[in-house]
Amino acid sequence: MKASEARRRKAQAPDVPIAPMLDMAFQLLTFFVLTYHAAPIEGQFMMNLLPPQPATAITPESPSEQPSDALPTTLRTLPTILRAGGGGRLDQIKVGEQSISTDTRELGKELDKYFQDPDLPFDQTLIKVDPKLRYGELMRVINAFSDAFVRAKKPPKLSFDELQPGESE
Amino acid sequence: MAGSAGGEFKAEPNLTPLLDVVFQLITFFMLVINFSNDNYDKRVKLPVADSARPVEDANQANVDRLVLNIDHEGHLLEGNEVQPLHKAIETIKRHAGFVRLGLKVAGKKPDPGGGLPTVIVFRVDRDADFSSLNSMIKACQAQGFRKFAFKAMSGS
Repeated sequence: MKASEARRRKAQAPDVPIAPMLDMAFQLLTFFVLTYHAAPIEGQFMMNLLPPQPATAITPESPSEQPSDALPTTLRTLPTILRAGGGGRLDQIKVGEQSISTDTRELGKELDKYFQDPDLPFDQTLIKVDPKLRYGELMRVINAFSDAFVRAKKPPKLSFDELQPGESE
Repeated sequence: MAGSAGGEFKAEPNLTPLLDVVFQLITFFMLVINFSNDNYDKRVKLPVADSARPVEDANQANVDRLVLNIDHEGHLLEGNEVQPLHKAIETIKRHAGFVRLGLKVAGKKPDPGGGLPTVIVFRVDRDADFSSLNSMIKACQAQGFRKFAFKAMSGS
């Protein structure tokens, strides 16, 4: 009696067809696999760039913030000049009055001397850039500066402007 | 005997776990897929900078941003249109107008310094010269933009 009841129940159980659903699911999966493109990992450097004016304070958070130091901004700013050679490549880097190697590691070591020395007041930099310099080369220098600020445990404050003809020859 | 060995055996593989896995894969792809690639213009080849930080901070991600793609010749890429400087200035002016209108509608005021709160995100081709970029920056500054971000590829 019990066996026949079990057989009847089995016969009445709904038979859901899984195969068409699986077909549909595989089609959807194929669509997503084909259309998926991993977005490249892009980073960014944030800067507050004010219109050119004398003795501008470069503050990363807000242009309206006042620096707490008593030293004037001009004394705390490390002037840097980038000159371009053929094809827009970086030809010369001048930090302060000193010409240094265009190699990024050498530049990093040199910047450490400026930013890690407690006797020097520099906590920001203004980079004057040759108009012919390629953006990729500029980013290489900004990257070195940003690393140097991080190593010196200072917030990266950097800005740039166009180098005028005949400036600091 | 011969009849019972004939058509009685029926292979019924359990497809439910397979369907579960497939649905999980579909869910994954639905979550990670990004149809709006309007900010990523493939014509722009970004430089590489290890220190460039991805936008992870929620506050940073929520700020109003305007992405400007600049190609290797220093032209602004606005959709399918390649705009030289004079046209790019008009585009930037138009965007600044929209930002001001948005602020007015929201009842907000610009910064005390007169700057607009929108961050201009530059995606500049690594072979573009600095003068082109500087012209765009000056055009943005003239319209009241003060906050800028410069994109680069993270890592080598």
